[in-house]
Amino acid sequence: MTASELIAQNNLKRDLLTEENEKYYSNLLIYIRTKLSLSEQQSEEVLMEMLDHLLEGQQEGKTARDIFGNDPKGYADEIISHLPEEEKRNSFKFVSQVAVNLLGWFLVIRSIAILVIGQMQEVDSSVFIIPSIIILVLIALLVRIGVKVIFSLIHKSLFDEKSNDKKMMVRAGLFGSGGFLIVIVASYFMRDFGPSFEFPWIASLGVGAVLLLISWIMKNYELKEKK
Amino acid sequence: MTIRSQLLKGILDGCVLAVIEKEPVYGYELSRKLQDIGLADVSEGTIYPVLLRLQKNKLIIGEMKPSGSGPNRKYYSLTAAGKEALTVISEEWNQLSIPINALLLKGAISNDSK
Repeated sequence: MTASELIAQNNLKRDLLTEENEKYYSNLLIYIRTKLSLSEQQSEEVLMEMLDHLLEGQQEGKTARDIFGNDPKGYADEIISHLPEEEKRNSFKFVSQVAVNLLGWFLVIRSIAILVIGQMQEVDSSVFIIPSIIILVLIALLVRIGVKVIFSLIHKSLFDEKSNDKKMMVRAGLFGSGGFLIVIVASYFMRDFGPSFEFPWIASLGVGAVLLLISWIMKNYELKEKK
Repeated sequence: MTIRSQLLKGILDGCVLAVIEKEPVYGYELSRKLQDIGLADVSEGTIYPVLLRLQKNKLIIGEMKPSGSGPNRKYYSLTAAGKEALTVISEEWNQLSIPINALLLKGAISNDSK
């Protein structure tokens, strides 16, 4: 079974847990899943085993605490320390699929924006190659850092009784808006220089749609390969 | 941690390997078999870190298979390296347990005779 099939099955089976057990188990699950460097397949397999175990135990009147102990964080850390790292090849495939997907959406939205604003005023649809690449790299970098920061925020605060969700959401929100601001400021001050080409909305829409299709194929091809 | 669970921790890998050697088992089955043998001190969740470690060291291999009733389960079986490791652990245990039994059981007997 592939990791995505295990995740889908996990979502269904979690509904069968009692409220108390669900809370205990979900914390373990989020804690392990937000550790991004681990092999997804292996993580999902052991999470499924633990869920099956908990469901069987629950029928005999046991709680998650009886089965996994009174120290869920210590237990999860022990699991994590024995899980293998994700293969570089898989991480690369995943990251490039996400990047192609984001770029696809970016181009589709750009084409719509040109079309809508073009109704009201003249729009310059030329693209300056070097500044565009700089901005794209900046966005990719911020997304990369953002995912890491937000996941490690969740990872750290999950079993921390003192931390509250509001504070964490504010911090994540601040990071998101800060990153967005950096991109806007950078593109505002970036001077147009170097070679450029005309990139009208219809071409932008076409290329964007093709990229979205490619990213969709990449995702589904990966599923078939693992079976 | 009680003395018993500390002692157990060192030899738990060997116990898990020995159970798996008899027939392939999945997690819940394994924990129940350990309890049936009399190792009630092994809290059930403890087996998952052990299973992961044994897999990582290629002593056991897990395979998803449909179980007799209901869902797919991950069944574990020993690899060749696992069989070897189990033999080594058994030998080591015999070398330790015989003198320790002689030593510590003697104490128990002399206590009884008082």
